[in-house]
Amino acid sequence: MRVHMKYETVIGLEVHVQLNTRSKAFCGDATDFGASPNSQVSPISLAHPGTLPRMNTRQIDSAIKLGLALGSQFPEEIRFDRKNYFYTDLPKGYQITQDAKPICQGGSLPIRLKEGYRDIRIHHVHMEEDAGKSIHDQKEAHSLVDLNRAGVPLLEIVTEPDLRSGAEVDAFMTAVRQLVRYLDISDGHMEQGSLRCDVNVSVRLKGESVYGERCEIKNLNSMKFARQAIKHEFKRQTELLENGQKVSSQTRQFHPENGTTSPLRSKEDAPDYRYFPEPDMPPVPLEMEKIKSLAKEAGTLPWEYYNTFHDTYGLSAEAARILSETKETADHFLRLVQQSENKQKQIAKTGSNILIQHILPRFPLLEGFPLKPAQTAQFCQILVAKIIPTRAAIDVLLPAWIKAPESDPEQLIAELRLNKQTDTDELRRALTAIVQAHPKEKAIYKGGKRNLLGFFMGQALRKVGKHHDPGEVRKLLVELLEA
Amino acid sequence: MDTFQGIEIDSLSNIREAIKEGVFSLPDLVDHYLATAEKHQDLNAYVSLFSAEAKERANNLQLAFETDPTAAGPLFGAVLSIKDNICLAGAEVTAASKILEGFESLYSATAVERLLEAGAIIIGRTNCDEFAMGSASEHSAYGPVKNADAPDHVPGGSSGGTAVSVQCGSCLIGLGSDTGGSVRQPASFCGLTGLKPTYGRISRHGLLAYASTFDQIGLIGRKAEDLALCLSVMAGPDEYDMTAAKEPLPASEIKKTAGSKRFCYFDFCVDHAGLQREVQDAFRRKLEALKKAGHIVEQVEFPWRDYLVPAYYVLTTAEASSNLSRYDGVRFGRRSPQAKTVEEVFDLSRTEGFGAEVKRRILLGTFVLSAGYYDAYYGRAQKVRRLISDHNQELFQKYDAILAPTSPILPWKHGDKDQDPISVYLADIYTVYANLTGIPAVSIPLERDSESGLAIGMQIMTNQFEEDTLFSLIALENNLPEK
Repeated sequence: MRVHMKYETVIGLEVHVQLNTRSKAFCGDATDFGASPNSQVSPISLAHPGTLPRMNTRQIDSAIKLGLALGSQFPEEIRFDRKNYFYTDLPKGYQITQDAKPICQGGSLPIRLKEGYRDIRIHHVHMEEDAGKSIHDQKEAHSLVDLNRAGVPLLEIVTEPDLRSGAEVDAFMTAVRQLVRYLDISDGHMEQGSLRCDVNVSVRLKGESVYGERCEIKNLNSMKFARQAIKHEFKRQTELLENGQKVSSQTRQFHPENGTTSPLRSKEDAPDYRYFPEPDMPPVPLEMEKIKSLAKEAGTLPWEYYNTFHDTYGLSAEAARILSETKETADHFLRLVQQSENKQKQIAKTGSNILIQHILPRFPLLEGFPLKPAQTAQFCQILVAKIIPTRAAIDVLLPAWIKAPESDPEQLIAELRLNKQTDTDELRRALTAIVQAHPKEKAIYKGGKRNLLGFFMGQALRKVGKHHDPGEVRKLLVELLEA
Repeated sequence: MDTFQGIEIDSLSNIREAIKEGVFSLPDLVDHYLATAEKHQDLNAYVSLFSAEAKERANNLQLAFETDPTAAGPLFGAVLSIKDNICLAGAEVTAASKILEGFESLYSATAVERLLEAGAIIIGRTNCDEFAMGSASEHSAYGPVKNADAPDHVPGGSSGGTAVSVQCGSCLIGLGSDTGGSVRQPASFCGLTGLKPTYGRISRHGLLAYASTFDQIGLIGRKAEDLALCLSVMAGPDEYDMTAAKEPLPASEIKKTAGSKRFCYFDFCVDHAGLQREVQDAFRRKLEALKKAGHIVEQVEFPWRDYLVPAYYVLTTAEASSNLSRYDGVRFGRRSPQAKTVEEVFDLSRTEGFGAEVKRRILLGTFVLSAGYYDAYYGRAQKVRRLISDHNQELFQKYDAILAPTSPILPWKHGDKDQDPISVYLADIYTVYANLTGIPAVSIPLERDSESGLAIGMQIMTNQFEEDTLFSLIALENNLPEK
């Protein structure tokens, strides 16, 4: 194993993002996941004679949104190309894609690693259409083809070889998933195939500046498989090099059953796709105005939220990560803090604690959480101002408010008799009763056995419970015992 | 000439007048056309007649006309044939190819839909070269079409069936497609008028693609005014075809023009190794007549003469090689009964389904797009196309129209050129210009060869979207004093 320490893995990714447009990339067919086979196919999806493609502006908008987030350059014209090959699930016998002029060129995506954020350079992002699905092993002597997915719009994100480990690939995919959800251009479900990646892996001696020969591993549909494949490739390639052999440039196939890869084809056997400009869709100018208006609409990005939470509000890295996880959480938290004109840092601290410890565990990603940010902010102010005891607020007020989000918290406090003022009288009465019920113990206490306070505290807490601040209870008890 | 019940039925205005006067009814006319088509079965112009549908539609239209003559559509009385590469919902469409044996279209071409909405009747689909690839209508799964003027001669192609359907008097107008002359050349060979509109003028939705950036639906008939009317009905943007132009529609009536016009012709149109003496003389006589009538007629140099046909064949076959990939035996059309594996479905279905000329062009197109050859062929041909297009724009700064023979040669005898496909390709020299540049072009009858009686045609070409000028020049040419 020690010998492997000399090497490093160099990884580049091709990530396919399935967009959440209502219709397909080049025709009006629906794109719902899980529809019965071949139910979302018109003559255009089926490539019937005489049918032609037309552009879906939502695919283009999605690509521009992503490009804006990545800081990419945009071309002056939108052009599509054809990639020609025969396959049962490719109805036209070619895929409409972008070869010569991808919609986004360059840019970078920050990924979060233990040591902080690191920018991964993006080579380009291009638009294309998905193929259908072929199933060759379900029916003897027959292949089954489902063309529902044929023509569904995809963006392919191609990175520079900037990743160095499975964990970094993991972080990259997490960042992509988070970003596409933030931008609302894809549901980002890896298990449904909305995010898929091909991994290019090579190895080289640490400190070396030249890249090694790389292998492409196709269609890894889970992060676990991607990590396994990378691990296997690292081992395989370093062993080859250690044995004085060369790594040959190949496309390889991953075997989920044992975590290994095997060659699919060598680069020399790579099919000639005969790319050429899509003649049915002439180039369309990409208007600056369109880019500007999409830029104007663009919301805050995950890493921007993270930085605000961490740097401005002083949250811990972990808290900032959790709260910037989804747009909904981040937005809620940010608006919560912005509600308060002063003590923002304190409100932020209280708010992040409340959200992370008490609200998110019950409402993951805030789904179904009924309180508005202004209400959560109000709740935090109640806590900060110690209007009622913390425990009472968290254990009684918050659940009650969640149940009746329309309520006024002041009224709830009164109804639930959480108010501190009336509370003190009540507490005094309750504690007086306890003290009066134990005259013997009181006498012993007064006689100097101060540790009997523990006995009274136990009694008191059992009786008045969490409605009261323990410090308060102790103070009052001492006063009563010494009276 | 075509007469029925003593009426010359060579124009829509005559037909409508006769129906209005009660000389004959629309169903009578359809019966007459069907009988004529049956009588000329040996010409092999039709692949199938829509007898029952046409009769029923004629009855309905006649009834509606009698109820309210003012409600009749602009094409009431017009009976048309359509080439077997244009879709009509529920009807077979095969592009004269075995590979589409038995295939019925699920939808109608936009052009056909608009004709039907305007009150036209479609009488049948016409024979042609397979996938519109050919100049003689001999490369058809249904056997060759014969020229009604001289049945041992070819009618031209690829829309030969359409031309002959009009020529033999079985319909008023025929719909064809013109990728490199496929409407104009058969019109010329059959002594008719054939129009190829501006590229994009008529939607290609429902036209089986040969070469996407060249294909255009065209019309063959006797009277220019009928072609102008049909064009105005079919033209215009279409949500199913991004290349369908949004330009203002051409007029439905021909505008008169007067005064001296500026014509030019290319040097190689009067002096070329492949130009037959009879055609050359006829064209020269016409040029003289135009000069005598006071028009400017000037010869211009054309530096790219030898690149016209090669550029055309490189680009069209490249596009065709991809466009015809959808015919794979998987989803529709003919699947080889021999095929046992997925690979064999592709290989055998295509090997058995396509004819020799289609295979020749797919192979050529595949070659010119191949890695290592793309730049030398496809890339260069695109440059030639751009150069010619730029030069074309300059020409139209100076001239109203370009004149050229339609074909350098007279119709030849069946089988004469079987062994010499290159000479047939080279005979496209005068027609491919309009497709390379996208301009509208019409072939009009010039004269008949004194010896053989075979028709000779001439083209008039105007700048893009100037069909109105084109039609007014036809009218002007028809009224030359020499005629």
